[in-house]
Amino acid sequence: MTAIKKDPHDSPVSPDNRDEEKAPQAFNDSIGIDIGTANIVVAQNRGKEVSTTIQSNAFFTIPSSQTTKEIIAGKSVLFFEKNSKLYILGNSSEYFANIFRGNTRRPMKDGILNPKEHESADVIKTIIENLVRKPNTEGEKIWFSAPGEPIGKPNTVTYHKSIIKMHLENLGYSPVPINEGMAVIISELSGNGSEFTGIGISVGAGMCNVCLSYLSIPVITYSIQKGGDYIDSLVGSSVGEPSTTIKGVKEKELNLSIKPRNRVETALHIYYEDLFSSLAQSLQEALGSSDNVPSLPKPIPIVLAGGAVLPKGSREKFSKAFDDVRLPINISDIRIAERPLYATAKGALMMAMREKG
Amino acid sequence: MDPVVLIYSPNEIRGKIISETLRVKGIETRLAASHFEVEALIRENFPRIIILDMKKNISTETDFLDALSQKSTGAEIIVLGDKHDPSVPGAPHITNTRWIPGPLAPESIVSEVHTILFPKRNWPFAKRCNAMASEVLLRLKRFFFWSVPITATLVVGLIGGYVYWCIVTLPDIQSLNSYSPYKASEIYSQDNILLSEFYIERRNMISPDTLPRHVKNAFIAVEDARFYKHAGIDPVRILSSFLTNIKEGGFVQGGSTITQQLAKMIFFKPEKTITRKIKEIAISLQIERRYTKNEILGLYLNNAYFGTRAYGIEAASYIYFGKASNDLSTSEAALLAAIPKAPSKYSPFVDPEKALNRRNYVLKRMFQTGFINQDEYRHALGDAIPEKIHARRYKAPYYVDHCRGILEGMVGDRLYTAGLKIYTTLDYRMQEAAEKAVHEGIERLEKRGITGVQAALLAIDIKTGQIKAMVGGTNFWDSQFNRVTQAKRQPGSTFKPIVFLTALEQGLKPSDTIEDKRIDYYVKGQPDAWTPLNYSKKYHGTVTLKTALAHSFNAATVNLASKVGIENMIKTAHRLGIKSTIYPFYSSAIGSSELTLIELVSAYAALASGKRIEPACITRIIDKEQAILVEPPAREETVVGGESLTAIRDMLQSVVLEGTGRGALVLKRPVYGKTGTTNDCVDAWFIGFDENIALGVWVGRDDHIPIGGDENGATVALPIWVDFMRGSGENPQPARITVYPSVTMAAGAVSVN
Repeated sequence: MTAIKKDPHDSPVSPDNRDEEKAPQAFNDSIGIDIGTANIVVAQNRGKEVSTTIQSNAFFTIPSSQTTKEIIAGKSVLFFEKNSKLYILGNSSEYFANIFRGNTRRPMKDGILNPKEHESADVIKTIIENLVRKPNTEGEKIWFSAPGEPIGKPNTVTYHKSIIKMHLENLGYSPVPINEGMAVIISELSGNGSEFTGIGISVGAGMCNVCLSYLSIPVITYSIQKGGDYIDSLVGSSVGEPSTTIKGVKEKELNLSIKPRNRVETALHIYYEDLFSSLAQSLQEALGSSDNVPSLPKPIPIVLAGGAVLPKGSREKFSKAFDDVRLPINISDIRIAERPLYATAKGALMMAMREKG
Repeated sequence: MDPVVLIYSPNEIRGKIISETLRVKGIETRLAASHFEVEALIRENFPRIIILDMKKNISTETDFLDALSQKSTGAEIIVLGDKHDPSVPGAPHITNTRWIPGPLAPESIVSEVHTILFPKRNWPFAKRCNAMASEVLLRLKRFFFWSVPITATLVVGLIGGYVYWCIVTLPDIQSLNSYSPYKASEIYSQDNILLSEFYIERRNMISPDTLPRHVKNAFIAVEDARFYKHAGIDPVRILSSFLTNIKEGGFVQGGSTITQQLAKMIFFKPEKTITRKIKEIAISLQIERRYTKNEILGLYLNNAYFGTRAYGIEAASYIYFGKASNDLSTSEAALLAAIPKAPSKYSPFVDPEKALNRRNYVLKRMFQTGFINQDEYRHALGDAIPEKIHARRYKAPYYVDHCRGILEGMVGDRLYTAGLKIYTTLDYRMQEAAEKAVHEGIERLEKRGITGVQAALLAIDIKTGQIKAMVGGTNFWDSQFNRVTQAKRQPGSTFKPIVFLTALEQGLKPSDTIEDKRIDYYVKGQPDAWTPLNYSKKYHGTVTLKTALAHSFNAATVNLASKVGIENMIKTAHRLGIKSTIYPFYSSAIGSSELTLIELVSAYAALASGKRIEPACITRIIDKEQAILVEPPAREETVVGGESLTAIRDMLQSVVLEGTGRGALVLKRPVYGKTGTTNDCVDAWFIGFDENIALGVWVGRDDHIPIGGDENGATVALPIWVDFMRGSGENPQPARITVYPSVTMAAGAVSVN
């Protein structure tokens, strides 16, 4: 395998993928990374700013030739060559997929490494390598998001977590996993007396990660292997449209707080309700069957993050799903993370900063 | 800062919740991970409050609480759980505890802790006292001025009463007889080879009679030279220690005798109070009356702490010198005798210079007291001190580690404390053959320029399901990841027998035929077709099922799977014992769904015997009293019927006789099996069996990078398989071979010739 090497500060992403916000507390040079089914997001603090960089976690293959290689090498395209194929990675893969009228492929499925894609580990490794800077010191800690075990399927995420860890170690880091739901809590429930107590839910493309945190202790963590892709796929097969079309509608036009305007939107409403209902039911079961849930003196919030809660009205739809369940703890409010796509990476970064002091 | 509250919960999360709740309220806490740690922390930190979480209310927890409540720890105990009904027969009589029933309630815990730490005071009264302080002081002065004789009498009486109270509240000396320290458990192979020990403390009790004289003398010389002359306390030593310390310009010798140190070690906290000193003297005198000097010295040496988690001289001897205590030289004994005074300060691994000086001081004392002569003294002074800990490596490490996980589920913490003897299914002779075969297999690859490759091997007795040998990787001490039980890999063609068995169970015969040709398979929702290719990139037309399996034809196998039904194939896999998810895709027929080596070998054991038996490791666990604690029953279930069983065995034999497994012919006896190679040779397999053993070998890389070269299952995994079969001393009976009438299958229909 040959990968195109780049200066670590010369990210292959276009400038609009880089985002700055005020850092939440004292600063040091730390990194948090969210490795999701659809996107890989890196949060780093630079001075008094937090910089977030997002890269699509996808690839597209084209036959290798010297000419093609020379062309794409000059265009800041992230790629590597293997078995006489060029693997175009990240945001550029969508562009190439459109040119060649094909679909991008994903190295992750249902929140973990895609067992059907043999090169998944190499793809993720190369994308990560180009998103994070080199460690300042050998063994510098980096916090990365790790999915919770899916309900009833223990040891599902072990391999995924180990491979990601291995790649980060190869880059010279000491990787520390943080549960995705927990990262949402750390990111969103740090102030106003929240004391990192609440329920964090990351609704991603491949899975939903749930964490009940009490004073920053992850009391219950689990995942369900349903997410944005699940909605796209079921809506697509219900209405006879490709899932890429459904994804486009969902990301650009969908408003879950108003009545659906066509049959695609109707199906999207139905499967969003199905997803949120699954989440509510799972939470009722997980909280109801655990001895670890403490009696809390006051109600706690639920925070939603992840790309699948970007459509307007997600919060209301989610709240409605909770009408039919009874939880052993009282919920004060349901809120959407300030920046849903970046909350997990930001939480991982905050953990890194907390650790460094 | 010492923790105010010590917390123990068998559930780590509940423990953390309690700890964090108190911590945010500004209360120092410490979370103990085990009963052992609770006891150690009580001894070292004197917590004000101990919180025990007994939500699970299991008997070990109740026993622990019972024991704790009877100790004079000085701490208040809060128990989270439902209080025992003392009227229930057999219920422990636990007193002096506060109970918080119901679900985990952080606020109630905080409230209870506050009640203990900050008891309510009668503030108006205190203020009144403050205001009257000067008047009270004045009256006291007057009282003492006029009542000196009365005061003197009172003081003498109080001191007498205090000493009497100290003596009547002494701990029971008889508990020395039943003093039962934590003891390591031992794990043995089926042929009684000690594989390893499980321990928290490395404590192995030895008889003082077996210790060489110079070892005992080293301790006596430095700790208590008049040990055989005093009756528990030694006024001469107290005086001489005082003078020695002045002479040496520091505290080099204490005044306590070995008997006093033993009393302190077993009965008291290491606090420096007059009460403890009086009690220590009293109990030392009792010990001397009841035990011989040799017994006292033995108890002391077996219980002393030598640092580096070593309790007792035998454990220390292994850790510091890698040998038994009866093999210690004079200088080595002197170093061990130097340590108990301050284990972390005098550790040769922490401060070699201080350790050397202290050891030389012990040698000097041995010379001065006449235990060694001038030559022995000079010679011993020249010996070096150890530079590294002798961590004990153990045998069959992947297997032992696998057993550890199972044993923790069976006996919990007792695995590390109860001195159990665990007998396992491992055949150490086979294990050695397995390790040798894997080692040599990897060496052969390295000679071909292929490095960094891992391998795993598992042998299971097909009649009992017992694991006889397990190698989870090339070097356990470099990587503890067990590739037998933890690594999920694509099985490739080793999965194919499951497809063929499904066909046999639907009435087909090995001589029936199937088309090995290009077929495009379409999956709903996927625009592109999937077309299975053979390894040789050629198709072979109409072939018998037997030939298709023997030569591992992918196209024929997928064609067959599509006819017998993918769901039926998945059911067969699960029936044979495969637990991993087999995805309902055509590619699963040629092994694209990942599973573990242990699942595959277990499934092949079922193909060998027709019975599914859960792979077993533990045959028996025996406790300290030699009673059988656990003896897991073997569970078996017939999963493959007579004709299908004979036929699949016949087909797997043909793999060896005429197909991809011909490399096994060198064994010159009937063996059965299947090769497997995944795309680009990321994984190479050979799984098979003879009449006794089901054996699987996997070779590959952890990061899924191809092995390299033109390697495949037959060139990489099969040689290791053959080496084991040759080296393990197997000598099975010849197999029966059955011939079936031929049947033709074409385009979804089946017709019998």
